[in-house]
Amino acid sequence: MFKNYFKIAIAVLRRRKFFTFISLFGISLTLTIVIVLASFIDHLVSAGYPDTQRDRELYVNSLRLMSSKQGYSNTGPASFYFLNTYVSKLKTPERMAIGSIYVATNTYVNNKKLVINLKYTNDEYWNVLSYYFLEGKAFNNTQLVNGEKVAVISEETRDNYFGKGVSAAGKYLETDNVQYRVIGVVKNVPVTRVFAYGDIYVPYTLSKSDLNNKQLTGMYTAILQAKDKDDLPKIREEYNQMISRMPKTDKEFDLIYSYADTYLESFTRMMPFSSPGNSGITIFYAIIAIFFLLFLLLPTLNLVNINISRIMERSSEIGVRKAFGASSKTLVYQFITENLILTFIGCLVGIVLSFLIIQVINNSDLISHADLKINLNVLFYSLLATLIFGLLSGVYPAWRMSRMQVVHALKAQ
Amino acid sequence: MLTHLFKLIWNKKKQNFLLIMEMLVSFLVMFAVFTLIVYYYQNYTRPRGFEFEKVWAVNYQSPQGMSDKDSIAAFNQSLKQLIKSMPQVENVSFAASNIPFSMSTHNTNVSHEKISEMAHIYAVDDEHKDVLNFNLRSGRWFSRADQGSRETAAVINADLAQKFFGNGQPIGKTIDFEGKKLKVTGVIDDIKDKGDYQGPDNNLFIRIDTSNQAWIGAILVKVKPTADAAFESRLFKSLSNVIRNSSIEIEHLADKRVTKNNLTLVPMIILLVVAGFLIINVALGLFGVLWYNISKRKGEIGLRRAVGASGGSVSKQLVTEALILSTLSLIIGLFFAVQFPLMNVFDLAADTYYIAIACAVAFIYLLVIICSLYPGRQAASIYPAVALHEE
Repeated sequence: MFKNYFKIAIAVLRRRKFFTFISLFGISLTLTIVIVLASFIDHLVSAGYPDTQRDRELYVNSLRLMSSKQGYSNTGPASFYFLNTYVSKLKTPERMAIGSIYVATNTYVNNKKLVINLKYTNDEYWNVLSYYFLEGKAFNNTQLVNGEKVAVISEETRDNYFGKGVSAAGKYLETDNVQYRVIGVVKNVPVTRVFAYGDIYVPYTLSKSDLNNKQLTGMYTAILQAKDKDDLPKIREEYNQMISRMPKTDKEFDLIYSYADTYLESFTRMMPFSSPGNSGITIFYAIIAIFFLLFLLLPTLNLVNINISRIMERSSEIGVRKAFGASSKTLVYQFITENLILTFIGCLVGIVLSFLIIQVINNSDLISHADLKINLNVLFYSLLATLIFGLLSGVYPAWRMSRMQVVHALKAQ
Repeated sequence: MLTHLFKLIWNKKKQNFLLIMEMLVSFLVMFAVFTLIVYYYQNYTRPRGFEFEKVWAVNYQSPQGMSDKDSIAAFNQSLKQLIKSMPQVENVSFAASNIPFSMSTHNTNVSHEKISEMAHIYAVDDEHKDVLNFNLRSGRWFSRADQGSRETAAVINADLAQKFFGNGQPIGKTIDFEGKKLKVTGVIDDIKDKGDYQGPDNNLFIRIDTSNQAWIGAILVKVKPTADAAFESRLFKSLSNVIRNSSIEIEHLADKRVTKNNLTLVPMIILLVVAGFLIINVALGLFGVLWYNISKRKGEIGLRRAVGASGGSVSKQLVTEALILSTLSLIIGLFFAVQFPLMNVFDLAADTYYIAIACAVAFIYLLVIICSLYPGRQAASIYPAVALHEE
């Protein structure tokens, strides 16, 4: 049966080449945009180099202090003091990576200015995140404790500072008026992976600001890594208890909100639609879904219009089939199947097109070191979008077709 | 003639309903796109109100650990002397971190009598006006003379002055800000410090004195044309030696402007590309449907030709039909679009919406005419003999 539908669909497509072109053009362009967007969202949200273990990690990226009397609040990354004194005492996480928000610093090589984004980290950071070392290795606990001026730099920094491809391990690099000995070179990280991005990574003990300052907000974030996925709820529970037991030292800001969140939650938490206790992730998903449906509305209407024209053309075929006893249901199924075949052909073209566009984006400087790709996730969502698109644009024309009167259908010829 | 065309359209209402829907959605999409274009264009043509070409910014964190306000003030004063003494430096100004084209913003509600407005707050010093070359509209920029006065001196922009004082005299009046009173000493022309595509905004400049030194987060340095990268690296070195417990970064406002503009431009370009694809899609669809309709109506058109209608009038009839359809959808679309200026959604000026509506209407008509011209010409070339022969 399906084979028959397929044959008919292909025959119809070949009959009116101009219409086929218009339909396929619209479908494939629409799906290309959907696939590229899906790939971009996937790049932002899913695990990727060097943060590959996201399914067993929780993130602490902000802390909110609120005054219950005045109502105003102060939100920002946590301080080193907070992470070191409270969060590092948690028992369930296996490891904890601490890293600062990157700060831009300057260095001048041969009268040329380089902007180098500096990130302070602890030694566990290198075990939690799997950086790929082109040269050398990360700093260890002894180097951290002793405050040795050592640094891990990115490939791009090496190329800009020492020259393209020149080995840098053991050499000295000066930035922010401090000399660091380069002990490792890592593969570039896309700037969109904010917790892992940096041009140079140095031990936090070298930080110029006072690490013992008892303020709770500062410039550090943490990644809590569990032994396995099942421990995550326990970590959350322990984290929440720790927050509720924290001493209230600040008279002005007496309420403290902070959460150990999954990667995406840690961002939706900063959106205006989230509230304490609700990370807002469901609303975020709903907004994305509504956006895609609205985007599909216009191409869908367009395809419905074209489809209706095409069915009217086939009224004689429909008339004959009806006259020989085909039920409305059969005809509806047939037409929807045909439409799905058309949209899936468009989807294939769309995948090829979006593959090309993604290559262009990756090689351009639009997002530095971006590694967008079409993986199984993206493919799944693209196919889902195709299915929705095909159904939306096929159902109404099919219904119109099935209701056609046999007499009218046959008379039209 | 028109009533006849309406009858023709009514007879095929089911199919035409979908066409109307498609044009309606296209209109709404184009309305949104044009609103953004018109808004950004209007902003782009507004004067910038300050100069940035030869200004560098030094970002740093105000010295921690120094809790005494007077010692911070003394530290900053000596820092200023140090920079000013360099031969390539023309002028120096200390400011909070929300300098022009920076990502950092500081806005809060300020009020005068019963009127309350959201305004950007800038804590700056006496030299700020000269470094950025603001145009003073009335009054004066604050100066040493305001030191020690009971109310902190402040300068506002023309827009905010208009909102607070109407056409009255703003100089010498007071503004409430976070429980304190500020005295207005001057009014400057509106500025676009958040990028070239920024809309009208309220700006309030507060004089830095000993009590709010901790707000300082950046130093603006106006350099002479002789300043080059070698000088920049010397400046960096000497500043790093003085500011010990903070990382510092030197940026050029000209580069910051490009980055800031791109934050608006890149999403805009992506949006335009997506909208462009949607419109190509719709245009091809309309074209196909109209073309198909004409081939279905060969008999009718042939008959008209046979009883004496010219080719021109046949093609005119088809184009007019398409235009009536689009007019119907535009009437529905206008109903929705007009709500935006009427209900003052998104706080944009009403004329932005009206220009956008006019552009979108013109665009849809143009699109429909282009898409129906060729099918219309096709219809005009139908020979009655051929068309009627098929019956």
